[in-house]
Amino acid sequence: MSDIRIGMLSFAHIHAVSYVHFLSQMEGVAIAGIYDDDYDRGGRFAAQYDVPYFRRVEGLLDQELDGVIICSENAHHAPLVLQSAGRVDGILCEKPIATTVEDGLEMIERCRETDTKLQIAFPMRFAPPVMELKQQLDSGVLGEIYSVKSTNHGSMPGRWFVDRKLAGGGAVIDHTVHVVDLLRWFWDTEVEEVYAEVGDELLHPGLGIDDAGLLSFQLKNGVFGTLDTSWSRPESYPTWGDVKLDVLGENGLISVDAFEQNLQVSSEEEGKTSWVNWGSSGDEGLVADFVDMIREDREPSVSGEDGLRALEVALAAYESARRAEPILL
Amino acid sequence: MKRVGIVGAGGISRTHADRWNQMPGIKLVGFYDIVKDAARAAVQRSGGRVFRSMHELLDSVDYVDVCTPGTAHVEPVIAALEAGHPTVCEKPLANSIFDCGRILDTAERTGTPLFIAMVVRFFPQFAKAKQVLDSGAIGAPGVIRTVRSGSFPDAGSAWRKGLAITSYYGDFAQSGGVLLDLCIHDIDYQRWCFGEVERVFARGMMYAGKEPKDHALITLRFANGAVGHIEGSWSYPRGRFATRIEIAGTGGIIEWDSRTRPPVEVALEQEDGSLASSGSSPTAPQHDPYYAELAHFVRCAEAKEPFLVTPHDGMMAVRIARAAIDSLQSGKPQYIR
Repeated sequence: MSDIRIGMLSFAHIHAVSYVHFLSQMEGVAIAGIYDDDYDRGGRFAAQYDVPYFRRVEGLLDQELDGVIICSENAHHAPLVLQSAGRVDGILCEKPIATTVEDGLEMIERCRETDTKLQIAFPMRFAPPVMELKQQLDSGVLGEIYSVKSTNHGSMPGRWFVDRKLAGGGAVIDHTVHVVDLLRWFWDTEVEEVYAEVGDELLHPGLGIDDAGLLSFQLKNGVFGTLDTSWSRPESYPTWGDVKLDVLGENGLISVDAFEQNLQVSSEEEGKTSWVNWGSSGDEGLVADFVDMIREDREPSVSGEDGLRALEVALAAYESARRAEPILL
Repeated sequence: MKRVGIVGAGGISRTHADRWNQMPGIKLVGFYDIVKDAARAAVQRSGGRVFRSMHELLDSVDYVDVCTPGTAHVEPVIAALEAGHPTVCEKPLANSIFDCGRILDTAERTGTPLFIAMVVRFFPQFAKAKQVLDSGAIGAPGVIRTVRSGSFPDAGSAWRKGLAITSYYGDFAQSGGVLLDLCIHDIDYQRWCFGEVERVFARGMMYAGKEPKDHALITLRFANGAVGHIEGSWSYPRGRFATRIEIAGTGGIIEWDSRTRPPVEVALEQEDGSLASSGSSPTAPQHDPYYAELAHFVRCAEAKEPFLVTPHDGMMAVRIARAAIDSLQSGKPQYIR
């Protein structure tokens, strides 16, 4: 069986570092090369993994690839997907799928036309504590589900993440999509209505973009809930953020803290106490699933449509905040 | 496809069998046990066939997994090494230093790979703590404390009932009590983290006549001057099993406690109004420590690379545990040669 050849398109999003690490550890996978419009960044990772660096996307796409992983700035997902579609069997695109619905639709359409599988990177579906919650929910132990309270907190990432043109927004677009994807996956449902209180530079004066977001939503299956997307974890906090879900039903409560498997490390050098995670990374399962999709020639487990539905909720949250009223999707 | 045969059909054998059965490229071909009914029960549960002799097993396998009690490691391990089959040996390597020496001599003479199943090194939180220590984030080694405390490993499950394993643990002359059976994990882990041990001092209940309850507190002095503390117990209340890591250095400290809030908590109201609550800390199947150690064995055996745990490591852990027992009897610190 020949190796599955994967090309990395951009390391602008930090998740690329984790994806390429797990790819490099997998048997039957070859990292064919790295494209990055940042010469220093691309060259550094190419040297680290001893693979060729390409200054142009075309150069890498010419390397008989089976798949590409796109971790560019959000606004560049669309051009990179459009360029790769038809040149590879599978594309793994970092979330959010795009910064506009139009871009997302065009990406999905082009991939369909060219028979290219488009998968969106939602690694939380592969995090073992979340998988355990999914199993519990599928078993029906909670009875009727009433509500879900969730958070996807983060640290303020800076760089292009706070550039509206490149990111499409701030904390709300960055951190709405992971949890919305989980909710849709848990119950095979859609967000029906969303109301949002969005805060611009509430936590980081002068940031020029939203760094706080409280979404209140109603799902089509009758479940209501909230999601906190805020970049509310300061540098001095022990970790980057969290994904937490409290699911309440007629028989009780299931609480998940997906990044709770930590060592506590206090380092004089760092000048603070940190939580160092030892749990199984969802990124490992995500990348393995992507490679498996190419190898088995099967449909993606997380599709472009899944990515688009999650993006629509984030954009509706911004719309709700502008109008100060709930938005029907 | 590599064929694995398990010697000994007690509790840990079942844990190993489950992992072998999940592993690609591996076929669990069967069990040999001096108690034939135990081998039969294992086969009914985990598949493969009953081997009527060690000889028959050795003729049918590529790898041997020795899961007998510590006192019964030496014969099957030596036979497997002589047959040239890469071998897994459960901890402790043997219950006496003399038997450890016989195994090491055979391993050296035959050149057959021998892996000691020091599974704690493969627990993700313990492995991560070692990695953080090695990164220099907490500076130079100072004080390491670990805990491994639960209730006596008696026949809670139907599987173990009547298999004589309970009486083995409870017969401290055989099992070595918590010092040799349980604390061996922490001795090996601390030695892996901080290096060679210079001396050991122990207090405990091994000779207190309270079998099967046992409890021990060990202090270690390492060759580099650092110190270590180990608590191991078979006297904790049932259901209160706890493990803990604390590693302090010149520039910081690493802490972990199995009793912190788990990532998944389920709280359900029962029909009678009572609360049923449970917690879990799931990891991916390949990160299960028992799977990880056996997969490590296969990977190294096939690539002809050294194992993370060497026969020498296995012997040193027994030597230190034995010295702890000597300290208990003599009331004096014991130096490790």
